[in-house]
Order: sequence, then structure tokens, then C-alpha cells
Amino acid sequence: MKIKRILAMFLAAFMVASLAACGGQPAAPSSPASTPEASAPGSTPEPAPAAGGSITLWTYPIGNWGQEAEVKKLTDAFTAETGIEVKVEYLAYADGDDKVNAAITGGNAPDLVMEGPERLVANWGVNGHMVDLKDMLDDTDKKEIQESVLASCTAPDGAVYEYPLVMTAHCMAVNLDAFKEAGADQYLNLETRTWTTDDFLKAVDALYAKYGQTVGAVYCAGQGGDQGTRVLINNLYGGTFTDAAHTKYTWDDPKNIQALQKLKEINGIDFDASLAGGDEIAKFYQGILKMAFCWNIAQQKNPNSANGPEGQTQTGEEIAFMSFPSQDGTAKLNGGIWGFGIFDNGDATRIENAKKFIKYMADSAHTVEAVKTANYFPVRSTAEGTDLSGIWADDKTMNDYQILMPFLGDYYQVTKGWAGARTAWWNMLQDVGEGQDIATVVAAGVAEANAAAAG
Amino acid sequence: MREARTAYLFLLPSLIFFVGFVVFPMFICIFYSLTNANMNAKAATEFIGLLNFQKLLSDKTFLEALRNTFVIVLVSVPAVCAFSLWVSSAIYKLSGPVLSAFRCIFYLPVVTGSVAVTVVWKWMYDNYTGILNYVLKGAGLIEKNINWLGDSKYALWCIILILFTTSVGQPIVLYVSALGNVDATQIEAAKVDGATDFQVFWNVKWPQMMPTTLYILVITTINSFQCFALIQLLTSGGSGTNTVMYYIYYTAFKLTEQFGHFGYANAMGVILAIFIGILSAVQFKLAAEK
Amino acid sequence: MNKSELQRKGAYGVMSVVILVILAFLFMFPLYWIVTGAFKIAKEYNSVTPVWFPTVFTLDNFARLFARRTAPLWELAVPFSALFTADKTPIMLSVGPTVPAAIRWLLNTVFMAVMAMVLTCITASMAGYALAKKRFPGRALLFSLIVCAMALPKQVILIPLIKEISAMGLWDNIWSVIFPTVGWPFGVFLMKQFSEGIPGEILEAARIDGASEWRTFTTIVVDLVKPGIGALAIFTFINSWNDYFLQLIMLGSGNNYTISLGIATLQAETSIDVGILMAGATLAAIPIIAIFLAFQKYFTQGITMGAVKG
Repeated sequence: MKIKRILAMFLAAFMVASLAACGGQPAAPSSPASTPEASAPGSTPEPAPAAGGSITLWTYPIGNWGQEAEVKKLTDAFTAETGIEVKVEYLAYADGDDKVNAAITGGNAPDLVMEGPERLVANWGVNGHMVDLKDMLDDTDKKEIQESVLASCTAPDGAVYEYPLVMTAHCMAVNLDAFKEAGADQYLNLETRTWTTDDFLKAVDALYAKYGQTVGAVYCAGQGGDQGTRVLINNLYGGTFTDAAHTKYTWDDPKNIQALQKLKEINGIDFDASLAGGDEIAKFYQGILKMAFCWNIAQQKNPNSANGPEGQTQTGEEIAFMSFPSQDGTAKLNGGIWGFGIFDNGDATRIENAKKFIKYMADSAHTVEAVKTANYFPVRSTAEGTDLSGIWADDKTMNDYQILMPFLGDYYQVTKGWAGARTAWWNMLQDVGEGQDIATVVAAGVAEANAAAAG
Repeated sequence: MREARTAYLFLLPSLIFFVGFVVFPMFICIFYSLTNANMNAKAATEFIGLLNFQKLLSDKTFLEALRNTFVIVLVSVPAVCAFSLWVSSAIYKLSGPVLSAFRCIFYLPVVTGSVAVTVVWKWMYDNYTGILNYVLKGAGLIEKNINWLGDSKYALWCIILILFTTSVGQPIVLYVSALGNVDATQIEAAKVDGATDFQVFWNVKWPQMMPTTLYILVITTINSFQCFALIQLLTSGGSGTNTVMYYIYYTAFKLTEQFGHFGYANAMGVILAIFIGILSAVQFKLAAEK
Repeated sequence: MNKSELQRKGAYGVMSVVILVILAFLFMFPLYWIVTGAFKIAKEYNSVTPVWFPTVFTLDNFARLFARRTAPLWELAVPFSALFTADKTPIMLSVGPTVPAAIRWLLNTVFMAVMAMVLTCITASMAGYALAKKRFPGRALLFSLIVCAMALPKQVILIPLIKEISAMGLWDNIWSVIFPTVGWPFGVFLMKQFSEGIPGEILEAARIDGASEWRTFTTIVVDLVKPGIGALAIFTFINSWNDYFLQLIMLGSGNNYTISLGIATLQAETSIDVGILMAGATLAAIPIIAIFLAFQKYFTQGITMGAVKG
């Protein structure tokens, strides 16, 4: 049997000898039956041994989960313990979704993907590409993991498509040195990290008076980092993005229109269709923009992922993180939840191995390292007896940042039609920036998003 | 009969690839365009007739993309031809090394690679630190920074300009040698007859360069449809730079929640293919007549 | 050119030379900026006012680029072996030493462009000859199909192509970008135009001498259409090198990226780190420019003769 199998392989190898050179690895060919070679003798797959095997993980740049050197430490340790090889691919937010979707189209999806519920649950999960991970959660897990987080990871039909690992609140950042220079630091409360809409607008005025150029950008070159623009606009006068039940988009709220009008007319804030979230951070890091709306704790710790000093711009100016401005100072921040999901490639062995990986990273003594690599906060109190609440105890920045966590608002990113809504949002911002009538473009944008939500 | 068999054998290797990776997918594309195929693993694919095409005709984004695609082709093809003809006629009489240096320089953007070139242009067009704003402001031509890629008044033209610089290399090389090969005795004869430079060019040189011009038209058209990388990397189709090529990709892989998005994207493909087929056929008809 | 002619052309001549020189600088600028940028220190490549030439040369950008991602230099898999193994991982014949991924990307790109070029030249010259010199049923139909498909952007068949390549188990394999390139019918069109120029008497003479069809093709036809093959080789090589779209949708894993795709990914990941981008772009541009300069004569000759005859 074995000899036959090897023979078959060699035969196949010769038949397509020219293909051998430089060949890569098809991640997981859609179905063996679709190619004639599969009917060669001995092609019946034998179940793999419990230990060993290999899995693929595609990860978005979640803190240092986007850096090969850091992730390799984690996966090497996992391989040493389980014998399962992990092949990691690093995706960028700019085109990561396209890559995953292209892979799904051909049935080449990876085994594991690391991202948030808006993709794993609301998109790929609901569309039937993911494995339900409910069986990985026993009663202890359900107690340990924050209830709201777990709810976000659960699809309407009760299936859990994401095993959460870390969370944070997205915030904004200011260039403290520039604020001081312009005399705008009086509007910042660095104790509570909050400010009111009035303070914010005064600060912008002061900065513009000092620098005479754009100091903050409502970036809209694409969907990247759009939580920043959403939260800014929603909080300024207390508008909402979706309804509470997550069934439809409500950003045509007059309060949002008021916010858009204010941002459009004030000097110093520019609707910039040449920047996406990442570019905005870059311009802020370069010291050109004096505030960034696309910020969070991972950025604070490693600004612009440039591996420079913590909390400093490139030119060494101090970066302070702030909550978003709102009328009474208590903003509703947008949360980020990140974790793992498993694509259903129809191979029980690989799914089993992927689950081992999730268990290892998100619910074991090793979770501490996995969380710390992400530079975010754990979503659970304990993991298999290891207390996670104090893992950042010796880190001042992380401790300071805790102050924003109570402001976490609704995790509305799981509303149906999310990908379409994001597209409508940045296109709408571009139209506002071009000077079109705000009420009209907002109405059109929301209609488009709700059409996507209706399916 | 034997001749036909030989011909088929000679055609076979090429046909395997042509049919396998162009014609066959094109047929599948036509089939998909009549369905509501999508990425959702749970939804069945249904035959919906011409509904996708109907929807496309009232899709504002698509119509804008279609218009931009035509603007790009209709502007860049003649511009590339005219520019390369002008450069070639200015340099073809220069001495060997100088001529060769010019030829190389104009070829550089072609060989540098479109992605690498795009990286530099992105920086040149930058709203805050770009060299274009820096120079124009330094020269006093503009007062405020222009957001080149973020303003729909400029963005499409910025992209056409990059496309232009990466397209003229080959035509210049071609025209230089075509001009060098023009029959000198005919030129002399024309001059003896008292023809002006323009008349010499129009009546003697231009007809002889016709085959070159047609070849250039074909390759420039092919090139112009390859502007995907520029748009994806610079504007993601925003700021009024969407093209059908990009919108197909966008609908297929970004708007994955839109019902039947695969079918819809394929319907766009079919429309684009029809337009391009007509364009190519017209070009070829012209070529055949000359 | 006599004196009066010079005088007559004076103003126009001078002006056109001036414009040409300015244009030449503009065309050289992107490459100049890439290469110098690759050696600049962070303060200079991030400077708000442009720094025209690096004051300090540093290799730090390359060091960061190389440290960022690693990959084995080569991975020779048993073709289709993934279909046989239990967990669908291909069996490796040989895996190279770990090197910076950018080096692997270059290797992938060269392999891809050369293979696409060789295969296209072989298949297109055969097909072009048959189309031009043989009479067979379906000839007109095939030719019009080729003409219509010539300028077709690959986006049109995006989804069917991905599905097809995936069904063949070739997705995320360098051959998935080679085959569709070879299938593009422009080469056949070009070679047909060339082969039209082959005098019928020569073919007839070869036939009377008793040469087989294949022998006639390899000894006589190929020799006569050599300039055309040269033109096609260059066109295919550059087009395949620059065909970012096909690479983007077909190559899923970092080990299999081409250099263009690698740089695009870098740009998506780190828009600020211009240094790393410039280093990557330099790596991408230099080899192909070196090839261009080395074969410059053939480049210009090949293209030229092709067009004039076509």
C-alpha cells in the first residue's frame, strides 16, 4: 500500500515535472476530487496522528501580532509543545479583507484567522465559512470571559465564531507639546482624559491660530481606521451609528449632521480623501497633524509601529491619549475585540489542530504572553487558573489607559451589512469634503448602508 | 487536410493556455453574470436573467467608473502617441550615445515597475509633505497645498500622468527607429520639390510609419487598461478615480455582503469585455485597411 | 544640415532641447528618489522639506527590510502532493536556507517572468506561424477571437480564474501567475503579423527538400521571425514583471510573493516607514534595470524590428 502510494506520487511528479520548480504550497486545495491525480491509487487520506500536522494562521496587525519576530516566539513555543507547525501570514488592514475573500472564493481559506467579530462573526461566520466554537466554551470559560465580549462573538443563531483574546477602547491622541505651544493644553484634562465638545473646538481654534494649517484630519481615503471618524462624529453632539438592536444604520441622525457641518466649517479640521487611518497616524507621528483620531493603547505603546520610544512622535514630542470630545465630556468609545476564528475547510484534523492553537493562546497559562504581544487588555479574568487581571500591573501606560475602559460603548460593528456600511461611510465623508450638501449625502449614504443591511 | 492537421498541432500548445485561461473563464464569466452567485456559502446560486445588467445601468458608481475608464483610455492613448512622436522626432538625429541616453531615460519608468514607481508618486503627490506642493509653493504658483490625490478635480489626472510616464518608453524607442528607417531618397526628393518640413513629415514620413503607429496604439491601449495597481495603491477608487477594472475587484472582494455580488461583478466584466472587444476590432479594422 | 537650415530651426531647436532635458530629469526623478531614499537616514527621508541627496549613507533601511520577514530561499514541492497527504500539506523535496523574504520575492519574480517569457515565445511563435501560413477551418474565427481578447483586462475574468486555478490546486503557487500570462493572446497576434512576412517560396523549397514541418519551423521559420520573438520576449518579460493584479489575487502566502506584491504589502503595512519602502523598491527596480542596460541593444533592436515589419 505504502509503496503504491509513493509510486503514484512519483508518477504524478514526473507527469508534471515542469511544475516542480519554485512551487509554493496551495494552502488547501478545494476538493481533491476535482483533479484527476486524486484518483491515483492510494490517495485515500489516512487520519493524521494526534500530534504533529500543520496549520495556517492569517493575522491582522493587532499590536505586535503583526510583527514576525514577536509572533514567531509564540508559535515556536506552541510547536515545541504540540508538534503542530504553524505557518503565519501577516495581513494589512488596507487589503487584508480582499486577500481573505479571494482565498475563500477559491476554497483556499486559512485554518485560523485573527481579527474582530465584525469580520469573523458578522461577515464570514454568518455567511457560513467558519466553524462554530461553542464546544470550546464550558461554563467556567463563560464566567471568565466578559459577557458583552462573548455576546459580540456570538452570531444571532447562537453560534460562536470567534474565540476572543484581547480588547481595548479606541481613542484619540494629541501632540501635547504642540498643544502647549498653542496654549491649547488648558482644554485637556489629563487626569480624566476627557474633554467637552466646546473645549475641543476651542483647542482646534487655538492650534489653527498658531500653526495656520490642518491640525486634524477627518481621513476618508478608504475604510482603514474608520472607527476614529465614526466615534468623533457620533460623540461631538451625541449621535448614533446604528440602532440599539443592531438592525439598521442611524447615522442620518440630525446630531451627526450637525457634527459634520461643524467639522466641515471649522478651520484646522480638513476632510482629507488622500489619507486612510494608517496614513493619519503616520502624519501625526511625523508631527504634521497635531491630533490623531485613529488611536489606541497599542499605538500609544508603539507609535506608528515604528519601534521608537513609547508615547513620543518621531521628533520626540509627547503624545497624550484622550477620550473623544462630547458635550458632557463622557464619550461613548468604540471598542475593539480581537480573537481567533477557524475557517471550515472540511478537514477535521486541521480543525482539531486549530482548536488546540486557540486553546493554547486564549485559554491557558500561555495566554499572558499572547495578550501581552497584542498590547491590549485580556477579555477574561483567568485562563485555566492563571490570573490575568494583573498582567499589566507594572506598566504605567497600560494602567493609565484603564481609565478609558468604562467609556466603552456599544459594539455595533456586528450589524448586518457592515462591510457595505463602511464603504458608504467613507464615500459619504469624501462627498462632504468635496462640499456637497451634507444632509443629502448623509441620507444617500445611510440609505446605501441600510440596503446592505437588508441584504 | 494534412495542412489543417499540422496547423492544429502547431496551435495546440498556445490554444491550451488561451482557451484554458482566457476563453473558458470568459464563458464562465458570462454564465455567472446571469446569476446571483456570491461568497455566502449558505445561499444557493440562482439564475436571474439580465437583472444584473439592468441594475448596472442605474448604478451611479458603475457609470462613473465606466466614464473614468474611457477618459483614461481616450486621453492617455493619443497623448502617449503624440508625445512619443514629438520626442522621437526631436532626438532621432542626435549622435549615438546621446540618443541612446535619451531612449534609456524615457524607458526607465517602464522597467522600474509600476508598484515601485507608485510608491514615489504617492509621496510626490502628498498633501502635506509632497514635493509637488513644495515646488509649486516655492515657485509661488499656488498659495495653499493642493490635495492632489484627495480632490476629485485632480486625482484622475494625477493617475493618468503616472500612467503616461510608464507608457511612453516603448513608443519612443519604436518611433526613433521608425524615423531612422524612413527612405531618405524620398525625403530628398520631396525637399527638392520645395516641400516644407511639415509636408515632408505628413506626406513622406507619416505614411511609412503607419505600421509602427498601429502597433503603438495596440500596446498603449493594453497598457491603459492595466492601471489597476495605480488606483488600488493610491486612491482605492475614491476621489473620482474609480474604474470598471477596480470596481469589479471591489465588488467581488470588498462588498461581500451585497447579495449576489459575484454575479454583479461578472456582469460588469461582460460589459467591459464587450466594449474592449469592439475597440480592438475597430483598431484592427483600421490596421487591416492600411 | 546646412547653415541656413540651422538658423531657421534655431529657436525651435534650442527650445526643444531644453524641454527634452527637463523632461529627462523628470523621468529619471522617481528612480533617483527611490535609490537615494533607500540609503537615507530616517530624519532625511521623513523631512518635511525634501533632502535631495543623503548626507549620511546608511544600510539601515535594508537591514530593517531584511529583518522584517524571512522565508526559505526555495521550496521545491512534489507537484500536487498536497492532494495526497492527510492534512493537505505538500511534500517538500527540498527547502532552502532561511533568508530575508525580499530575496525570495526577487527569486520568485525572476522565475515567473522568465518562465512566462519562454513559454509565451514558444507557444506564440508556433501558433503565429500556423495562423499566418496554414489554411485550416476555423482560422478566421480564431483570429478574430484573438484580436478581441487581446486588450481584455484580467479583472474581467477575476472570479472564474480564481476558481479555476484553485480547482487545479495551483492557487498560491507561482505557476498560477505564469499560465494566465502565457494564455494572453497578444503574443500570438504579434507573431502572426511577423510570420506573414515569411516568403512562401522558402517554405515551399524546404518542403520539396523533404524537411518535416517541425524541422522547417525550427530551422527556417524561427530564424526568420527572430526579431519578433525578441520583441515578444521583452514585452512579456516586462508585462509579467509588472502584472501586479494577477499576483495580488493569486499569491496568498508571503513566501510566494513577487517583489511588486511584497512592496505593495509593505506600503499597506507601514505607510510611514518610507526608508523600508525605498529599500524594497530599489531591490525591485535594480535587477530589471540591470537586465535592461545589459540587453539594451536587443531591447531596442528587438522592439524596433518587430514594429517596423509588423
